[in-house]
Order: sequence, then C-alpha cells, then structure tokens
Amino acid sequence: MITAGIDVGLENIKVVILQDGKIIGRGIGRTGGAGRASAIESVMASALQEAKIEAGNVEKTIATGKGRYDAAIAGEQYTELVTAARAARFLHPDADAVVDAGADETLIASMEKDGRIRESTINQKCAAGIGTFLRNMADRLEMSLEELGALPPADPAGITVSDGCVVFGEMDALSCLNHGASPKEVAEAVIESAAIRACSVIKEPTLPIGDKILLVGGLAKNAAFVAALERQAGIRFIIPTDAEYAGALGAALTAIPLS
Amino acid sequence: MTQDYRKWPEFDWLSGMIDWKKAEKITAGVDIGTTSAQAAILCDGQLFGCANIRTGVDFRKTADIVMERALGQSGMKTEDITEIVSTGWGHQNVAYARRSLDEIQCHAKGARYMYGPEVTTVVDLGGQTTKAIRLHSWDRVMDFMLNDKCATGMGRNIEILCDILQISIEEIGEKSLDVKMDPEPVSTTCFAFADTETIGQFRTDFRAEAMSPNEIYASHLFAVAWRILGTIGKLQPLDVGDITVYKELAFTGGLAKNPGITARIERELGVTALRSEYDPQLAGAIGAALLA
Repeated sequence: MITAGIDVGLENIKVVILQDGKIIGRGIGRTGGAGRASAIESVMASALQEAKIEAGNVEKTIATGKGRYDAAIAGEQYTELVTAARAARFLHPDADAVVDAGADETLIASMEKDGRIRESTINQKCAAGIGTFLRNMADRLEMSLEELGALPPADPAGITVSDGCVVFGEMDALSCLNHGASPKEVAEAVIESAAIRACSVIKEPTLPIGDKILLVGGLAKNAAFVAALERQAGIRFIIPTDAEYAGALGAALTAIPLS
Repeated sequence: MTQDYRKWPEFDWLSGMIDWKKAEKITAGVDIGTTSAQAAILCDGQLFGCANIRTGVDFRKTADIVMERALGQSGMKTEDITEIVSTGWGHQNVAYARRSLDEIQCHAKGARYMYGPEVTTVVDLGGQTTKAIRLHSWDRVMDFMLNDKCATGMGRNIEILCDILQISIEEIGEKSLDVKMDPEPVSTTCFAFADTETIGQFRTDFRAEAMSPNEIYASHLFAVAWRILGTIGKLQPLDVGDITVYKELAFTGGLAKNPGITARIERELGVTALRSEYDPQLAGAIGAALLA
C-alpha cells in the first residue's frame, strides 16, 4: 500500500511517500503565502518523482502542520501532535515522549507504551517563532544557518539576550552588536535564549516523561540549539535522521488503515 | 529559494551640479540605524551626495562603507569635510565623526529641510523604533514619543513577513491597498503574534469566504499602522483644544516608502501627508549634516 503525508509548516512544506512501511520518496520546499497551493503541488511532484510513481498510485494522502487545510490533494487532516507521536512510535518504538521544535511551534507529547498520547503541551504565544527567529538572526548576523548550528556553547559569564520573546531578543542582540560584541558571541547568546524559550514549553511540570525522548522538527538539525536545549532541560534527546520530515512521515503512517 | 524578498534596494547619489571645491562649508551627517544606514553630504546647505545601505553585522564597517559610497567618484575625501555629525542608534561607531546628536533633533531638522518649513508633525518609521515628533514653528522640538516596548521592530517585521509570505517588500504595500474594504486587523500586541495570526488567515476551512492574499496583507499592515497611530496619538497638541494637529505631517524612515502603511495612517488621521523629492530614509542624515 502506498500512502503520502504532507506537512505544511510555517516555513517549509515536507512530503513523505510510504510503501509498505518504507520511505520511497521525499520532498521539501518553501511554504510562502499566496502561492502556497502551487508550492504544495510542486513539492508533492518532486517526491513522486523520487519515488518513481504516478500521483494515481498513492492510495491515501493526509496533511498536517499549520497550513494543513491548504493541501487540496489531502483527504484528511491531522494535528501536528498526532503525527509527531505517530512518527516517534515508528522511528523509536519504546519512546516515552516526542518534542517537535519547528519554525513557529514547539510542542511535547508524552506517550503511553501502546503509542497513545497521554499528555501534551504546545507553546504559548510568547514562545512562538523560535525557528523563524534563528533563521532571521542568522541572516542579520551574516551567517548561514549551518554556521549558526555549528557554534560552540555560550559562555555562561558572557553576554545574554532577552528570553522573553523574539522581538526583545532581536533588539538585545542588535544592542550587543552596537556596543562591540562579536557576531559569534551574539549568535551564541541568541541560541541560548531560543533554547530557554523552548525549554519553558517542554519542562511543563505536570508532564510525566521518561528518559527516551525524541526530538524532531527542523530545529533538531541545529546542533548548537540542541546542545543548549539539552543543557537547559537536562534531557538527552534521541534525534532521528531526517528529523524535519517527521511530521510528514507521521501523516503518511496515519494514512495506513489499522488492521 | 533564490529570490530575497525582504531586501529593498540600496542606492547612492551624487549631484552633478555642485562644484565642491568652491564650497565654503562642507558638512556631513551619518545616520546608523539598526536596519539601514545613511550618509548625506551638504555643500553650503545643498545636498551634494548621499547613500543608503543596509546595516551589516559590523557597525563600524557599515559606517565606513556608507560614507565611501556617499563620496563616490567626487574626489572628495573625509578630510575635506569641515564637520561630520553622527546620529542614530549606532552613532558611537562612526569613528570619523567629530560629534553625535540625538535622532529626534536630526529627524526634525531633516524633515523640515526635505518637506518644507511648514512641517509640524514628523513620524519616523524605522527598522526597530517608531518616533513621533511635534515641532514648534521655529525649528524646535516641542514634544516627542517613542514606541512602547511591544511595538518594537515594525520595519523589521515587514521584512520578516515578506520573507515568510514570499512577496517582494516593494510590492506588499501597493497590493494591500487593492482591496474593497480593509478587513479586521490582526493582533496589535506585538509582531510575533501578528505574524502567527497572518499565517493562520490563509486557512480557508473555518471562513465562509476565503480571504484574498491582498486582504491578508491589508489586515497585517492595518495592524502595523494601528500600532504606529498609538504612538502618534500620544503627542502633545500644538495649542489647547487644537484638533487639527496632524496637518502638515511628514513621514520619514524606511516604512514611509510603504504606501500600505502611510495611506492607512493618513486615512485614520484624516490628513494628506506632505511629499518630498528626497528619499524619506535620508531625513536623519540630512538633519545631522544641517546641524553640524
């Protein structure tokens, strides 16, 4: 059986095509605004090309993510929580919880042993936009996202920027630059502040989480952010390869009917 | 992926009419903002050369580059300039400037020069800050207001939004005006909230009628304009009981080039802003050069 999952995020569209529990095609592209519908189609087309199949061969397509209702080709829509948990279960059958850190949203779902979601938390508004913030700051600091992700941990005695919200964070970062801090130092402080904000979401006191915690989403690829988050939260994350496709993978898995 | 939607064009300009060697007094102003940097050179009070660039990561280098571009092929050197004044958020990074002045004074002076002596209200719409300035009939600042903390970064927000929505920053304003009626604005608390909400408006499932992209831009820019109006509204009126305080309004700064913002502020205040042949982003630099 061939199924497809589309994850329409704030910044990127991800598509995964599954055949009998194996990934046969993937695609990724920018989401955008007005041209979103055609962007979804072109990402889907590139995934189909990689899978070497026709659109008609896909039996069921499910969409997830912030823009899931924009994917006209999808038969059903599921929230990010469900698809993240589903992907986590598939990638790591004995995972206790999954953290999804993306451009706009940070969420955590703790799971029962049979894969059902027990508890979940999604960021409050003021912790929104962590991924977008890091990308914008990389641009402002004239670094690539890869360079930003390769930075060493911040000096605890060094500069800090506001961890209240992205707006204050950027203002503080510019202020530090203005007073002669090096871009590298500022970037380290920016990552630290982003990690503190993400940590405020995942360290929800009511959540009983175990020690096998998966980290998925685009931010899982940013090594510096992951290291800072691990330090802040006191958690060692399990990071699957191609973590940014987890939402789409979860959607494709959800499309498989339960036998 | 390749197109950079957020970048507005940089420029430099040199007057072909003025012979600087004959000028008695040459002054220059350098305005280093958080997002853009400008330099203006005046020969006996006439604009001789100017430049407008994006502020880089190194503020000192930005200050050097912007001056170099303003001097251009004129043959003039920094040493030939009698007095250089720096202003703006990064003013302490202009190594070649002899002194610094605050942005409020410089913008007020520059706006009077660019828009004529009748200007009474100057609204500077910058990358990070919004400033509203009320002037006496002589070149004196009567009152000014800076944005509240949560209204920080209005200019930068438009850049970020254009990048997310993949629309050119030079088009979003015009497009947002191409609507029958302005829809409800998105959140006016801060731009992080507003951006999240704007993305959500592309959803079609819970609305009877889907919003067109232009309506979505309109609803975002209306929220930005609304936040700026809050800053303008706190200014002291010229006279007690004077309700026509907003006549002779001038916009400066980068967002002054976005008709989606300026037209909405004009509409809400019921005025028509003054127009100028100069680029509105130059106000701070020209003002600094005039005050040198």
